Amino acid sequence: MTGKHGLMRELSRNKTMFLMIAPTLIFFIVFSYVPMVGIYYAFTKFDFEGGLFGSEFIGFENFRFLFESGLLWNLTKNTVLYNLAFLIIGNVMQLVCAIFLSQLPGKLFKKSAQSVMFLPYFLSWVLVGAFVFNLFSDLGVVNTVLKQLGMQPYDFYIQTAPWKYIIVFFSVWKGLGYGTVIYLAAIMSISDELYEAARIDGANIFQQIRRITLPLLKPTFILLILFSLGGILKGQFDLFYQIIGSNGMLYDATDIIDTYVFRSLTVNFDIGMGTAAGLYQSFFGFILIMSVNTIIKKTREDYALF
Amino acid sequence: MSMKQKRASLFVVLTMLTSLLAACGGNNNNGGNAPAPANDGAASNNGAAVNGEAAADGEKKLEKVELTWYLLGDAHKDQDKVVAEFNKMLSKDLNATIKLNFTTWNDWQTKYNLLLTSGEKVDMIFASSWSDYYKLAKQGAFLDLKDLLPQYAPTTWGNVPKQDWESVTVAGGIYAVPNTNAEYTPDGFVYREDWRKELNLPEFTDVNSIEAYLDAVKTQKKVTPINGAAYENVQRLFRTWYDFQPIGSDVIGATSYDAPRDIQVIPFTAQFEEWVKRMKTWADKGYWNKNALSSKQEAGDFIKTGQGAYYWRNPSSAGGFINEITAKQLKMEIGYFPFTRFHNYVIPTLPIANGMAIPKSSKNPERSLMVLDKLRNDSAYFNLLTYGIEGTHWAKGEDDKTIVIPAPGVDLNKTPRYDIASWGWRYEPNMKGEKGGWAGLDKLKEEFKPISKPDIFGPIYMDYEPVKAELAAVNQVFEQYGKPLMLGLTSNVDASLMTYRDKLKAAGIEKVLEYVKTEANKYYDEKGIQ
Repeated sequence: MTGKHGLMRELSRNKTMFLMIAPTLIFFIVFSYVPMVGIYYAFTKFDFEGGLFGSEFIGFENFRFLFESGLLWNLTKNTVLYNLAFLIIGNVMQLVCAIFLSQLPGKLFKKSAQSVMFLPYFLSWVLVGAFVFNLFSDLGVVNTVLKQLGMQPYDFYIQTAPWKYIIVFFSVWKGLGYGTVIYLAAIMSISDELYEAARIDGANIFQQIRRITLPLLKPTFILLILFSLGGILKGQFDLFYQIIGSNGMLYDATDIIDTYVFRSLTVNFDIGMGTAAGLYQSFFGFILIMSVNTIIKKTREDYALF
Repeated sequence: MSMKQKRASLFVVLTMLTSLLAACGGNNNNGGNAPAPANDGAASNNGAAVNGEAAADGEKKLEKVELTWYLLGDAHKDQDKVVAEFNKMLSKDLNATIKLNFTTWNDWQTKYNLLLTSGEKVDMIFASSWSDYYKLAKQGAFLDLKDLLPQYAPTTWGNVPKQDWESVTVAGGIYAVPNTNAEYTPDGFVYREDWRKELNLPEFTDVNSIEAYLDAVKTQKKVTPINGAAYENVQRLFRTWYDFQPIGSDVIGATSYDAPRDIQVIPFTAQFEEWVKRMKTWADKGYWNKNALSSKQEAGDFIKTGQGAYYWRNPSSAGGFINEITAKQLKMEIGYFPFTRFHNYVIPTLPIANGMAIPKSSKNPERSLMVLDKLRNDSAYFNLLTYGIEGTHWAKGEDDKTIVIPAPGVDLNKTPRYDIASWGWRYEPNMKGEKGGWAGLDKLKEEFKPISKPDIFGPIYMDYEPVKAELAAVNQVFEQYGKPLMLGLTSNVDASLMTYRDKLKAAGIEKVLEYVKTEANKYYDEKGIQ
C-alpha cells in the first residue's frame, strides 16, 4: 500500500479518533516542536538587528566555553551522579512509603500521613534554601545544639563533605509525597482477589508484598525511571542554586552543569552560549534515553517506552 | 502481569506527569527556546509612518495608546494608586497611559537582558552604564533617538547639556536620555558612631583604624561587625585602599587612577597577596561569619537590629540608610566614612549612570518620548512618580525645594517610604531635598567638589566578543576561588592563592587581559589620556 493513500484512508476511517487526539498533537507541536527552531541560536552570534535567522552563523564557537574550561567532565559527572541518587533513592523511598501507607489500617491516619508527606512538594526551593541556611549556618540550629552539648561547632559552609547528603536528603524529602501518590495509585489498581487468594493460601503480609505488590509495581517503577532518565543531564537548578548559592567553597562537590552555566554567563549575558549549553544537555539526554530504551526493548519488550 | 494492569498504571503515571508538565510549562524560561520575532522591519516602518503622521496632523490628534515601561527594582506597596493618578493626568494631556513594570532586584540583570533579547514589546526601559548601556547600545538593543528627540522631547533636548548627549552617543547614534543630576557615588561605609566614641577609637583614616574598630566591636561589644553577606564589603575596601581601578570586572584593572595604562590582573599583584593574607587574620578573628558567602542577608539589616556594625554604601544610599534609622527612632548613632579620603580624589558619575532608553521592540517610541519629556520637566508629573502622592507619601516643606517624609499623620510602618528606582528621569531643578534628612550628604558634596577628577574608566566599551569563552571560564574561577580567598575562608592562604592564580592562567586570563588592554588603550588614545 502506498504511504499517502494509506494515510488518507486511515484518516477518513478513524476521523473521530484523530479529532480526539488533535488537541494533544497541536499542543506538542506548538509548545515543544516549533520552539525547537531556537536551537539555531546555539550556532549564531546573536545580535539585536538580525534576531534568530539574521544573526551571523559561527558554527561550534559557542560550545567552546564548555570544553575549554576543562571542567565539563567533573560537571557532567556531578550532574549525572546527583540525578541518579535522586532517582534511585527517591523512587525506592516512594515505593516503600506507598506500600506502608497501603497496608496501614485506619483511614484518618492514612490520609493525614499522606497530606503531611505531600506538603513539602508545594514549598518553593527559595524557602527550603532558607531552612537549610538556618539549620547549618554558624548560629544555626545544628551548631547551637552542638555547642549546648559541649561539642565543637562544625563549619558546614566551608566543608564540602556533608553537602552530598544534605542535597540528596532535601531533594528526596521534597519529592516524597508526590511520588508516593503515583505508587499508591498503582497499588490501588491491583485487584483484591489476588491478595484474598494469597491469604487463603496462608501467605503472610510480607509474602504478599514480595510476591504480589512488588512484581506488579515493577512496570510503574521502570516507567518512572525511564521518564526521568531523559532529564538526567538536566540538573535541578533551583535546588542547587538556592541551597548552595554563590558559595565557591562548596563547588567541587556541588557544582552541576546548570549552575556552572548560570554563573559563567550572568556576567556576560550571551544567548548563544546559553543555548549551546542547553543543547549539550538535551542531546546527551536524548542519546541516553534512546539507548536505554533499546536495551530494554531487546531484553524485556513489555517494559519499553516505545 | 496483565495487559490491563500495565495500561492502568501507565495511565496513572501519564496523567500525573502531564499535570506536572503543564504546570511547569508556564514558566519554562529556558533562554534560547523562545523564537524572537524579527521586529526590526516593523520598527523602522513604524518610525516612517509616525513622521508622516506628525507632519500631517500636527500635535492635535493623538491616538489612544498604552505604553509599557520597565524599571529596575521593586514596586511600592501603593504603586497602582500612584500610576492610576499619573495615568489620569497623562490621558488628559497626551491621550496615553503607562503600565509601569518592575524587574525586582532579585536577579534583575538576567531579567533585564531577557526583556531585551526576547523582543517583548517595551516602550521605555531604565538604562545605565552599570546595566551595560554601552554594550547593549552597540549591539543594537535600543532605538536611535537622535532624530526623534528634537521633535518629540524638545524640552529635554534643550535642557540636557550638550556634553551629556555626547557622552551617550554610541557610533553616531543617541540611544538613551541620560539623567541630569551630577552626583558622586564613591564607596564608603556606614558604622556605629556611638560605639566608636564609647570605645574610645580614633577617627578613621586608613585600614588600620578600620581594623581597630572592627576588632573592638568584636571583642568588646561581642558583635560580628560585618554580619550577613560580606564579600562586597571587603572587596570595595580592598580596591579603594590600593586605588585599583577595575575595568570591566573585579579581576582586571589599572593599578591606580594616575596610571591608567598600567593594566594588570589584580590577583597577580603583590598588593593582592598582602591583602588576602591580612583578610585571613580578619576572618579568623571573626569579623565576619564562616557562612558569609552563603548568607543572603545584607550587612545593613544586622546594623538595624544591633547585630552588625559595618556596611558599604555610597553617600546617597548612606543618607537613605541613616534617614531610615532616624525615622524608625532606633537608638543608635550612625556615621559614614567615604573611602575617597584614602587617596583624596573622587570620580563623578557618568551622565548615563542613570537614564531611560527605548528598546527596538517599542511600538510607540515617539509617544513614549513625549511622556518622558513631560515626566522630566513638568513638576506635577515628576513629583508624583518620583516621590509618590502628596499628602500620603510626602508633604510640602517650608520652601519649594524641600519635602517632608512622612507626611503628617502617616505612619511609616504602614505606608513605607516611596522609593522606587526613579533615577532614570532625574532632572536636578525638579528634585527636592528631604527635611530633617542627613546633613552629612551636603557636607560631603562640598568635600568632593574640589577633588573631583573625570571618569576615564567607565566609558571604556567592551563586549568581550573575541574572548568570551575565556571570560566565562575566568568568571567561573573568580567565583570558585577568588571570592573565598578574599574573605579568608580557606585554611591555607598560600596554597589557595597559588591555586587561584594557576586556575586563572589556565582559564585564559592572559588573553582577556590583552583584550582589555587593547580596548582601553584605544579609548585613551582617542581621548588623549596618558
